[in-house]
Amino acid sequence: MGNYAIEVENVKIRFNLASERVDNLKEYTIKLVKHELMFQEFLALQDISFKIKKGESWGFVGPNGSGKSTLLKTISGILQPYEGSVKVDGRIAPLIELGAGVDPNLTARENIYLNGLVLGHSREFMEKHFDEIVEFSNLEKFLDSPIKNFSSGMKARLGFAVATVVNPDILVVDEVLEVGDMKFRRKCNERMQQMLAGGTTLLYVSHNIESVQTLCDNAIWLDGGKIRMMGSSQEVCEAYREEQEREITARREERRAKLRAAGKKYDYLIVGAGLYGAVAAKELTRRGRRCLVIDKRSHIAGNIYTENVDGIQVHKYGAHIFHTSNEKVWKYINKVADFNNYINSPVASYKDELYNLPFNMNTFYKLWGLKTPKEVQEKIAAQIAELGITEPKNLEEQALSLVGPDVYEKLIKGYTEKQWGRDCKDLPSFIIRRLPLRFTYNNNYFNDRYQGIPIGGYTGIVEKLLENVDVMLDTDFFEYCKEHSDMFKKVIYTGMIDEYFDFCYGHLEYRTVRFETERIEEANYQGNAVVNYTEREVPYTRIIEHKHFEPEEEQRNPKDYTIISREYSTEWKPGIDPYYPVNDEKNSVLYEKYRALAQQEKNVIFGGRLGSYRYYDMDKVIEAACETVAKELNIRPWI
Amino acid sequence: MDLLRYRIRTFFKYKDLIKELVARDLRLKYRRSFLGYVWSILNPLLTMVVLSIVFSHLLGKKIENYPVYLLSGRMLYDFMKNSTNNAMRSVVVNAPLLRKVYVPKYIFTFSKVTSCMVDMVLSLVALIIVMIATGTEFHVTILLLPLVILQLYIFCCGLGFFLAQLNVFFRDIQYIYSVVLTAWMYCTPIIYKLDERFPRWFHIAVKGFNPMYYYISQSRDIIYYGNWPGPRIFWGGWLIAFLALAIGVWSFQRSKDKFVLYI
Repeated sequence: MGNYAIEVENVKIRFNLASERVDNLKEYTIKLVKHELMFQEFLALQDISFKIKKGESWGFVGPNGSGKSTLLKTISGILQPYEGSVKVDGRIAPLIELGAGVDPNLTARENIYLNGLVLGHSREFMEKHFDEIVEFSNLEKFLDSPIKNFSSGMKARLGFAVATVVNPDILVVDEVLEVGDMKFRRKCNERMQQMLAGGTTLLYVSHNIESVQTLCDNAIWLDGGKIRMMGSSQEVCEAYREEQEREITARREERRAKLRAAGKKYDYLIVGAGLYGAVAAKELTRRGRRCLVIDKRSHIAGNIYTENVDGIQVHKYGAHIFHTSNEKVWKYINKVADFNNYINSPVASYKDELYNLPFNMNTFYKLWGLKTPKEVQEKIAAQIAELGITEPKNLEEQALSLVGPDVYEKLIKGYTEKQWGRDCKDLPSFIIRRLPLRFTYNNNYFNDRYQGIPIGGYTGIVEKLLENVDVMLDTDFFEYCKEHSDMFKKVIYTGMIDEYFDFCYGHLEYRTVRFETERIEEANYQGNAVVNYTEREVPYTRIIEHKHFEPEEEQRNPKDYTIISREYSTEWKPGIDPYYPVNDEKNSVLYEKYRALAQQEKNVIFGGRLGSYRYYDMDKVIEAACETVAKELNIRPWI
Repeated sequence: MDLLRYRIRTFFKYKDLIKELVARDLRLKYRRSFLGYVWSILNPLLTMVVLSIVFSHLLGKKIENYPVYLLSGRMLYDFMKNSTNNAMRSVVVNAPLLRKVYVPKYIFTFSKVTSCMVDMVLSLVALIIVMIATGTEFHVTILLLPLVILQLYIFCCGLGFFLAQLNVFFRDIQYIYSVVLTAWMYCTPIIYKLDERFPRWFHIAVKGFNPMYYYISQSRDIIYYGNWPGPRIFWGGWLIAFLALAIGVWSFQRSKDKFVLYI
């Protein structure tokens, strides 16, 4: 072998998979008896040959399902080639997210050992290098907390530190590093550069083409299990990027061409296929107006988008629970969806103790063991009186003066601080005006008369609303306007209002959330759809377990896995998805300035959460959209 | 021969991993609860007390020194039940790891059975306590106990391998196996004595086809009766153990390369 670290020759990987996934004996027997057991040959890789010299760095790019991971698995020895051969000279260290497949109750310290041993190191070796690993990962403080409290970023950090503790001959990195923060990614890149200089061979898979270009000298572009292109990473990545762009443009052009060929002109161009846009489109269309809906994203439904992942409806942009007291809105939405009787009753976790939310008698009983409302009211009043706060100067004092120290410390403080990324003492008091305390044993979070989750997810609702409406995805409004401004008469704009005016007065601020979604091989992870983590030390604010939004689906179709999303509050920067407007004075003033501009735009209506810079519940969105249409068409409002 | 040497070498390469996995299981089991290890003793003791009270009245013919009779069989059965149950899930549970890194897959199955074995040995204290409390004589034959445990350990490894690989392809094996375990328990003379009250066919079935009978009879002989076990059950026990191991290893070996496609 000599010079080569890896020699892959004519590798073919063939999966002989059942056409439908049959993983239980019952179905297997039924299918066997009925002669329905079909096997399908699937070539995950074919005609793959290449040689990698020692010390080279290779990137692998290609669309999902093109065989990148399969190829790396074959090189690592996890998969056996069906034909051909793979020769590897040297020790392979794959980068594994720490805690993968390991009991979540183990501490980080125990996980470090376990992970190292899995990679084939000896215990003695791990003991010798333990401090080094901890130092690199920069997580000394958390060594003895259980791994379940770690974010994916933290787990990736530890994983990277363990995998690179000695220069392995071959380092395999498969997408794991995408989750860490910028600083850590830079640190990893430096380490990898160092290792490359020290003679390590690097195999790197990433969707982030830039990182492939900076880290790797060579690259292979896989497409449909075959090598499409191989060569210097600059060239391959460039070609791959061009192709990707070509595909998106082609898809878009095809759709536009179709519309143009039909000779269609529209009365309204609706920007944003979220709930607001969809309701407006439906109501306008129903009344004979022609609408075109466009959206930047490659799916409809905006932030209420739910995606079916292995039979579970995943709320991709955070938990959405429909609730309203407006009977008309409820009837309206029930025409396009079937709702279940889900009732939101979140649970708060503080230092391994669970408390019911919203603050009610169950919460107080757990806190103090008090049983009657009178006792509780006295207790809280006494606690507040003891503090003697007359004029709250900040959020902390405000909250304390409303609920007293016990509820505040355990259930409000940490959560609020994570949400805002600041100490409660440094937050203005107006954020919390009121903290409703309930003196009944009622865990229903909302006070509304109607509540539920649409069976089959929210995307279906928007699909139904847009049934007879032309929709174009992957389409940016500003770009579209440049060429097609003759296609429509008026615009309903639900995007960011400041962006419409090119940020002429500066950026409006938002709070934003980031999700880490993970499939877990467990039937039931936390027993509730929403669990808030009110400790400052746990980095995420809450965990959503999506299957519990649709208990009836789970009953009909039990699954032995689940999907959870950890929710992190992050600072918003231009370029990331904005979520909540920040209603402080500065931003309100700024918004008013933009609103004045908006009123001068005669042919543009601004609406929705981003278009009117305010927080909307879904029922309020429907009301607002219907109101807008009524006003626009000069008809009597019906909602 | 080279292959064998290679296998032995990998086994030693991962011996620290096995140790750590076993230690982890025990740690997790004993952590968090104040009673920790004490539970391991208390649990069989309490079950024994309950069963003794219930069955000493229920069974027509009294079994002398019922607590020791019960415990000397039940502990082995519980070990078999726990270890094979855990072993069955061992591959599937570690799927995220196995998808990412090459580790010999049997390591996880093997370490599960081993940790259950260690747990059982630790909880033997319960048996000793009961023997002292009931004034049971300690026969010299008890020295044979490690050998009986070893037989059962080998048997459980074999069965564990077999179930672990089957569970990868058919997840509902878990439910089927739990039914099998219940039936198995009633077909094994743990709470009762296999005496003349039972029909002849039942004797033949249990003695001929129930492996657990061999191990429990041996343990009863050396602990409860103070006899040396007869050659039939002693050598039979070894034979069954290695037969199970052979079947387990063969089935595991045959399908292990396909695991990653199904987990």
